[in-house]
Amino acid sequence: MTLSLIEAVLLVFVLGCAIGAAVLRDVLASLMAFAAYSLGISIIWVMLEAPDVGLTEAAVGAGIMTILFILALANTVRPQENGLFESISVRTVVLVGAFVVVMIATVPSLPAIGAEGAANPVVSGEVTQHYIDNAYADTEVHNAVTAVLAAYRGFDTLGEAVVVFSAGVAALTVLRQEVFA
Amino acid sequence: MSSDERTGLYVESTIIMTTVRVVAPFVLTFALFVMFHGADSPGGGFQGGVIAGSVVMMLAFAYGIDAAREWLDVRVVASLASGGVLTFAAIGLGTILLGGNFLEYHLYEQFISHAIAYGIELVELGIGGIVASVAIGLFFLLAAGFGHAVDAPEDES
Repeated sequence: MTLSLIEAVLLVFVLGCAIGAAVLRDVLASLMAFAAYSLGISIIWVMLEAPDVGLTEAAVGAGIMTILFILALANTVRPQENGLFESISVRTVVLVGAFVVVMIATVPSLPAIGAEGAANPVVSGEVTQHYIDNAYADTEVHNAVTAVLAAYRGFDTLGEAVVVFSAGVAALTVLRQEVFA
Repeated sequence: MSSDERTGLYVESTIIMTTVRVVAPFVLTFALFVMFHGADSPGGGFQGGVIAGSVVMMLAFAYGIDAAREWLDVRVVASLASGGVLTFAAIGLGTILLGGNFLEYHLYEQFISHAIAYGIELVELGIGGIVASVAIGLFFLLAAGFGHAVDAPEDES
């Protein structure tokens, strides 16, 4: 697999931001690194031809989440810290390192990007083919993702929508408010 | 004491106010485009709803959270959230009443042509309403802080 220059720069950027979000001592700085990480990831999704996921990542991860985190930060005390980086304990490094090793171990079993036929069960799978072949005839929408979301898997999506609704109700309950304002 | 004063969040800035005033209509239009056009291009209710919610947050950053809170009727937010769930559920359960399965859109074809496309569009709008109102609600709730819960005397205990 060869990386284009843009992909390589993006991957380095995202990794750097992720590490920055973990080790920066100032919470606001860590938050900014997290937002930049989300933005980088969303561009990677678009380059992997998953624009729906990219749009969600940019709007939710980089947008709303950052705003909500900043608000939470504004409502709490931000201690004046000296030193740029958090001190990192050996135990944390071992634990996170072990997790990373496990994750990386699963990578070789994924199909290569753009692989076709039997080498890529995601693309050549029976279910995927059924959606690609019949989505327009069945649902009259061009975007197969929307067809799966709102028609084929509509019941799951109703569950998702209710989860979002319940999140709002739960926030009201926890904060002992009666209205959304 | 308003939450803006307490946390010192709000800084009145002509530049921010002017920028938001110019940009907000376009962002709202884009949000509606993403919602309505989710059938033919990337996007849909979830993404469009979040973008629509961010319009209110932009206004709050420019004009103050309390001003935005007064401007936005809480009943609108609440009815968007519950209306979205009800719309989605009604469309889904309606087909069962017509003798089909859940969300079998084509059963509406007897009342309206292209029922599948319109049904999906309505479902996306419902999702957009839920997501936008919950995002706005969480924003206002977090901005109000946790002072109310702590200050209020505990009646039940």
